[in-house]
Amino acid sequence: MTDPRVSRLADVVVNYSTGVKEGDVVLIQGPELAEPLIVEIVKATVAAGALPHVRASVQGVDEAYLAAAGDEQLDHLPPYSLEEMEAIDARIAIIGAWNTRELSGIDPGKLARRSAAAQPLMGRFLERSAAGELRWCVTAYPCDAFAQDADMSIDAYADFVYRAGWLHLDDPVEAWRSYAGKLRALADKMAQVKTLRVVAEDTDLTVGIDGRSWVASQGLRNFPDGEIFTGPLETETEGEVRFSFPAVMGGREVQDVRLRFEEGKVVHSEAAAGGDYLEQMLRMDEGASILGEFAIGTNYMVTEFTRQILFDEKIGGTCHMALGAGYPDTGSLNRSGLHWDMVCDLRSGGEIHADGEVVYRDGAFLPSFFAEELVVPAA
Amino acid sequence: MRDPRLTTLADLLCRYSLEVGEGDTVLIDGPALAQPLFVEIVRKVTELGGHPMVRPRLERAQAAFLADASDEQLRTVTKLDRIEVEAPTRALSVWGQRNNRFLSGIDPDRQAIRSAATRELFERFFEREARGEVRWCGTAFPCDAAAQEAGMSLTEWEDFVYSAGHLEDPDPIAFWRAQSERQEGIAKRLEQVRQLRIVGEDTDLTIDVSDRRWMNADGHQNFPDGEVYTSPIEAATQGHIAFSLDAPYNGNDVAGVRLWFEQGKVVREEATKGRRFLSQMLDMDEGARYLGEVAFGMNEEIRTGTRDTLFDEKIGGTCHVALGMAFPEAGGSNRSGLHWDMVCDLRSGGEVHADGEVIYRDGQFL
Repeated sequence: MTDPRVSRLADVVVNYSTGVKEGDVVLIQGPELAEPLIVEIVKATVAAGALPHVRASVQGVDEAYLAAAGDEQLDHLPPYSLEEMEAIDARIAIIGAWNTRELSGIDPGKLARRSAAAQPLMGRFLERSAAGELRWCVTAYPCDAFAQDADMSIDAYADFVYRAGWLHLDDPVEAWRSYAGKLRALADKMAQVKTLRVVAEDTDLTVGIDGRSWVASQGLRNFPDGEIFTGPLETETEGEVRFSFPAVMGGREVQDVRLRFEEGKVVHSEAAAGGDYLEQMLRMDEGASILGEFAIGTNYMVTEFTRQILFDEKIGGTCHMALGAGYPDTGSLNRSGLHWDMVCDLRSGGEIHADGEVVYRDGAFLPSFFAEELVVPAA
Repeated sequence: MRDPRLTTLADLLCRYSLEVGEGDTVLIDGPALAQPLFVEIVRKVTELGGHPMVRPRLERAQAAFLADASDEQLRTVTKLDRIEVEAPTRALSVWGQRNNRFLSGIDPDRQAIRSAATRELFERFFEREARGEVRWCGTAFPCDAAAQEAGMSLTEWEDFVYSAGHLEDPDPIAFWRAQSERQEGIAKRLEQVRQLRIVGEDTDLTIDVSDRRWMNADGHQNFPDGEVYTSPIEAATQGHIAFSLDAPYNGNDVAGVRLWFEQGKVVREEATKGRRFLSQMLDMDEGARYLGEVAFGMNEEIRTGTRDTLFDEKIGGTCHVALGMAFPEAGGSNRSGLHWDMVCDLRSGGEVHADGEVIYRDGQFL
């Protein structure tokens, strides 16, 4: 029997996140192991009167391809992939893995080459998305590989994933809609701020955001969700930050990252482990040592660090910032091949100052700045 | 541990059956459970300079769509469906199921609506294939559902499947080249024939094959393989035929089928099992009651029915006919969303007459 939370997740991503409607062509992507969720998403899509297309992946194919592929193949973007992207009205992508280190034996240069070849596809995808022609959502299916990275059993991890999406509630869509209104009000409030200062252990960082927009991540393009984010002014980040959680990327992990910024750029970096990799990434291109994103995690049902950024960046009571590419819809001008989110816990003694006034302390906004309750009631 | 026969199979499919070359777009379409074969094919295709287009299917997702979709949804073919027909220059269909009754809860009428809707895709693909724009091959991935159906353990079934493909021969490709020559001789002989008469138990069927081309199925379009086939003159089939082997179709149990033809068309059908489904399929469209194929199985490694058409139709000493879609490359013009093969064992007393002369008896060409 299907876990009822799986059907609820499908209902939310189809009817709330992507708002699937009659006649829509919906691409559903995910690993074979997410079959229970894929089936429920197909059912919800069909019930909405739309046309589902399932694109499942199977273990080992990507590795076999990448291991054997030459430059000509990696550079090849099949024309049909653009045609497909133009033909869809919505895309629901499910993340999940058999082994999060599956590509550890593959030269990272090959991965970069393939990503570079896919840039026109990604660019057009984002264009259609910005024009409102294509709605999309990234969600996750609980799997052993992710559970293992989170130091949890699969059952505990499944509880974690579904609670993060508030799927333990009878009507999660209603909860997300109500939360979305509050989150937008918070984003509007933040848009008035010119300068943010984050103060925590070994952290005193000033981030200029005057004139930049804030986006409320309310469960549409990511699910679970819950954050507000902006794109900092490129030359105005100053000071030091220490990230409480390991910085994870491409199956690698850098411990205890510390960065010092001057005039927007990282001028010094150190880490307890993985420092070489951090340095290498920071030197990838011009934009890699500049912040592309500053964000505050506002999902208070996500409390643990699990090494999956979809969840980690939403932990209620944390802030995160990304080195590299920013989101144009925030006003960010930073461009880079990198987008590396790093999370800083503010729950014990952390503070955020907005134009000199303390607005956030110990992981929550002060009622003097934002009075609405962002915490979801337990069922 | 990887079964080395799977690597051999991938090599044979890519180099012999599909002749994958640099720049080919190779569609690999099959059930997700064929994951080990997907991996081997993708590796081989990529080594040969091709671009894999991987489409693993989930049968539960397919069933969910068929179960819940409205008629309009069932009838809609999208751009994404068309791309899978238009984009590949090579296409491999992998057959296998977790449970080959996965559609048993779905009303056959709904399946027929969907099949009729996707017929344009099927036809367009055949057209591209006939023009030489795409090469296609279908193969089996040994799975428990097929093993169970055949009354074997998975290990026995794997041995059966791989030996039917001669994959344990020192040089499987050499075997298939030799088999191809043997079959070519038979096909040449049949090409001189105008009228075939098949006589067996409860069977006396006359089929006109004048000026139709006999195709040599030598491991290029099916693997394992071993048959010669053509598409009959559409309006000429007369008489009746009883199929001694079970005739399952899309996971539906059908057995003991008997058909009566007049001027090419099935005018009466009986079955000891699945009669209703049989009639529903035959009423799918105009072409479903006409023969699209007549053929002789010639794979001597396959001796018994397995309830899997890919194998049963190749049993050395049998003939089969298919209702529905014909092969344009053989000169056939029948069009249908159906292509349903049914096998008749000729090894005990069966005869085939060619323009009045007995050319085949007890499962052997004379």
